[in-house]
Order: sequence, then C-alpha cells, then structure tokens
Amino acid sequence: MGSISFSHVDKIFGPQGSGVKALDNINLDIADREFVAIVGPSGCGKTTCLRMVAGFEAASAGEVKVNGKTVTAPGPDRAVVFQQFALFPWKTVRENIDLGLRNKNLPLAERDGLISSALKLMSLESHADAFPHQLSGGMQQRVAIARAYVLDPEVLLMDEPFGALDAQTRVVMQEELVRLARRNPRTVLFITHAVEEAVYLADRVAIMTRRPGRIKEVLDIRSIREAEGWDRHPKIEDVMDLESFVHLRTHIWKTLREEKDFQHV
Amino acid sequence: MLKALAGGLFLGLAPGRKPAIKVATLAALIGLWFLLTTVTGAVTGGRFPSPAEFWTSLVQINTRGYAGAGLVSHALHSVKLVAMGFLVAIATGVPLGLWMGWSRKVEALVNPVFLIIRPIPPLAWIPLAILWLGLGDAAKIMVIWFSAFVPSVINAFTGVRNIDRPVIEAARMLGTPRWRLISEVIAPAASPMIFTGLRLSLQASWTTLVAAELVGALVGVGFVLNMAQQDIYPGMILVGMLTVGLLGWGTTVLLGMAERRALAWNIAARD
Ligand SMILES: Nc1ncnc2c1ncn2[C@@H]1O[C@H](COP(=O)(O)OP(=O)(O)OP(=O)(O)O)[C@@H](O)[C@H]1O
Ligand SMILES: [Mg+2]
Repeated sequence: MGSISFSHVDKIFGPQGSGVKALDNINLDIADREFVAIVGPSGCGKTTCLRMVAGFEAASAGEVKVNGKTVTAPGPDRAVVFQQFALFPWKTVRENIDLGLRNKNLPLAERDGLISSALKLMSLESHADAFPHQLSGGMQQRVAIARAYVLDPEVLLMDEPFGALDAQTRVVMQEELVRLARRNPRTVLFITHAVEEAVYLADRVAIMTRRPGRIKEVLDIRSIREAEGWDRHPKIEDVMDLESFVHLRTHIWKTLREEKDFQHV
Repeated sequence: MLKALAGGLFLGLAPGRKPAIKVATLAALIGLWFLLTTVTGAVTGGRFPSPAEFWTSLVQINTRGYAGAGLVSHALHSVKLVAMGFLVAIATGVPLGLWMGWSRKVEALVNPVFLIIRPIPPLAWIPLAILWLGLGDAAKIMVIWFSAFVPSVINAFTGVRNIDRPVIEAARMLGTPRWRLISEVIAPAASPMIFTGLRLSLQASWTTLVAAELVGALVGVGFVLNMAQQDIYPGMILVGMLTVGLLGWGTTVLLGMAERRALAWNIAARD
C-alpha cells in the first residue's frame, strides 16, 4: 500500500527548452515497505527526486506515482523529514508533533496517546514542552522524525536527515532508525551522501550519475544482509567490520568515484 | 499586571548596562537648562521657558486647566485617538500584508494602488480628512489609520516573503488546512517582521495625531500646543511637548512588552 514508482521521469528547471536538465529518464520502483537509499554526487538530483514524490515539484516528463496514483500535491500519506529539520520554532515539541494529528481531526485522547508513544520512541519524553531552539541538533532531528512517524504515513521521505549531526549522534540515530524500521516497517526513500549509512540502512541502494542525474546502478543489499546475518549484530560498527559490508561499500565507492573523476575530464 | 507594567516602564527608562551614565546625562541636561535660563539669562523666557515657568504651567494646566480642559483629559483624548487609529490600521494592514505576501495575485492587484498612495506623506491627507469629516475625532482617526497602515502592510508582507520555504512545505506535508496554515504557520513565522511594522505604525500614529490636532482640534495634546503657541506661552508649549514624548514612549514600552511576550520563542532563539 506504499509503493513508489518513477517511470521515465525527466526534470528540467527553468524555461522549457533552455532550462537546466536535472534528471534524465529516472526509472525506479520501490515496493511497499521497502527501504531504498539514493546516493550520488552533489547536485545530481537526489533532492529533486524526493521532492517530486513529496509533491513539491512536478515532473517535466514521465510520471511519479505513489500507490499507482500520480502525485499532484503534498499530503500526510507521504511524510518528509527535511535535512534542515524544518520544525516550527514557535511551537513546543509536543505542538510540533501534534499539528499533523490535529489536521487529521483525531480526538484529543487519541492524539495524546500517539504523541506520548512517539515521544517515548524517540526518547524525548522529558523535552515535550521545550521549544526547538532549546534542543540539540540531534534532538531536533528526532522531533522531526517523530513528527513524521506519528502520522503513520505509508511513505517516509528522508533527505539527508542525519547530515547536520555529529558523528556520534549520527550513529545513534542510524541505529534508532533501524530499530524503528524493523519494528514498524514503512516504505522509505532515504537520501544520503554517506555510503556506509546507505548500506547499513537500506534494502536497496540506488546510485545516481552526475548531472543530469540518471540511475546508474541499483544494488540489492537486503539479500546479502539476510544471508550474512547482519541483524545479529546490534552495533553498527560490528556490521561495518563484516567482509560482506566492506565489499558492498567499496563497490559503491568505486562507482561514485568514476562519476567524480568523469567530472574533472 | 500593574507590577509588570511598572517594571516595564522602569526598564524602558534605564535599560542597558550603564544606567548611571544615563542618569548623569539627564541631570546635566537639566543643569544646563537651569544655567542657560535662570542663572545666566542667556535664553530669555520669551524663547524658552525656565524650569520655574515650566513648573507653573504644569501646575496651571493640572489645577485650573488650559485650552478647555486639564492635562489628563487632553492626554487621555489623544491616547484614545492614537489607540483607535493604530488598532484600525493594524487590524486592516497586517491581514492585507499577510495576504499580499501569500498570494502573488493579491500583490499584483494591490501594488499599483500602493505605488500611487505611498509617496503621499500621510500628513497631506489632513486637509481632505477635515473637509470630509470635520474637526472631530473621525477625521483624526482616519488620518492616523492612513499613516499607520502602510508600515503594517509592508512589514507583514516582507515577513511572509522571507519565511523559510521548508517551514511552509513542512506544514503542507502535514496536511495543514489553509486557515490553520495562515494562523499557526504563516502569521507566527512572519511575526518578528509584523512587530517591526507595528512599532513603525505606532510612531507614525503619534506623529500624525499631533499634526492633525495642531491643524484642527478642540481637545488633545496637539490642541494644547496649538493654543500655547497662539498665546505665546513657552512654558505650556514645553508641557505639551514633554507630554507627547512621554505618551509616545509609554505606548512604545507597552508594545515592546507585548512583543517580548508574543515572540518569546524568537527572542530566546536569538540570544
Ligand atoms: N528550484 C530550482 N531551480 C533551478 N535549479 C534547481 C532547483 N532545484 C534544484 N536545481 C538544480 O537541479 C540540480 C539537482 O539539484 P538537487 O538539489 O536535487 O541535487 P542533490 O542531488 O540533492 O544535491 P546535494 O547532494 O548537493 O543535496 C542541481 O544542479 C540544482 O542546481
Ligand atoms: Mg540534496
């Protein structure tokens, strides 16, 4: 019920004909409850892909569908976690999480229950009445994730959600996300610059070319993860030491490296 | 409430880190005043009142009254007009500014009117207002409205245009309906700029009020000033001037308190 499909999607910014071609013939099908990460050189159009699924940007050609329906506008069935958090600074943590629930016209008691469990899930219970500026970056990002998760969206769109975090917080958040994804699987489109992060989190990793962005290769991580039993290791650093992990990571690195080198010719 | 008010007024008097310097400056000014008028007689009473003359005028207007009423009645009347003109201006100006900021269509529609009206100084409306509405309160409220309207509109408009795009996108992604988007996202996000507009509007309100009362009025601080000028009464002129200054300052402090309360999230974020 949460599938995403790109078919023959082009995106041209600026006037048709003379504009900048950002995406070129993107084809990608993401199954319900699948976690797909996109990696690619800076400016290759990753954010643009995500924004089209979110409904903030229209395709110049081709179609972006969610559940078989062409995306026309943003909506709470496709929750977005923005790189810069995009919390409402004038609302408390609780109010930030509550807005989407109020928009669904849920009764107060139900909302309270959902907010409590979202706060608990993200270890934010003691900060429910704080304003965003009183929180650290990691906590703010947890609020942004809680705000998205509490809607129980069919599709979760995350644009470099951990990009602004320090290395330690980042690892904690990655493990937390894996925990969440295993407990309550969602369809996730996840954008990142960090290759390890993509391999650790995703079922599949899509590698894009430099601009105009095309899908260069899609790697199946899940079958390897299951075959090699990555989930038996609770800590990310243990997984990252496994030979199968290193192999995948190096392969993606090399593929991206080709794109970078290309750029300098 | 009263305590908070008094606290706010006091803060307005002596903010910052060096209250001693401010008190010293004030004392030096009063000393200079006394020196120039009473001690040396360098400035004659016909040009500027001495402290004693000022005091006599102040006592007179408070006991026997001047220009038809006591100082408190004059001041209250002026405050009432400013409050009404200012409130009408912001109640119309802020929503219009928000709307123009939100919708390019509305902006395109309203902007030409603005381009014509903006260069006209608000005080230039006074004759027309008096012609239409007479010397009573209505004409003054209208002119104050016109002068306070523009800063409210422009700042609310700019406030909306400067909102970070992701914040609005986040609200839309959460399925926020239109009216809630405006009241809970657009307006608060623009509120720092809106308050900047309100402060400018308040200043404009006082300027315009005094001018309007100078030209035609039967009561009010501007009327006191006008009468004192006709009576060649420098002591009373100074009383009028200082009253206007004090009232303008007091209302600004009140607005500042409202702003600090409304923008607590923002002020804290800036610290
Ligand atoms: N609104 C826009 N108008 C014009 N050009 C745009 C717009 N948004 C994106 N672009 C261009 O489209 C290309 C792809 O942008 P996009 O933000 O999707 O890249 P990205 O892969 O997310 O990059 P990064 O990794 O740096 O975030 C870039 O060249 C960018 O300059
Ligand atoms: Mg991006």
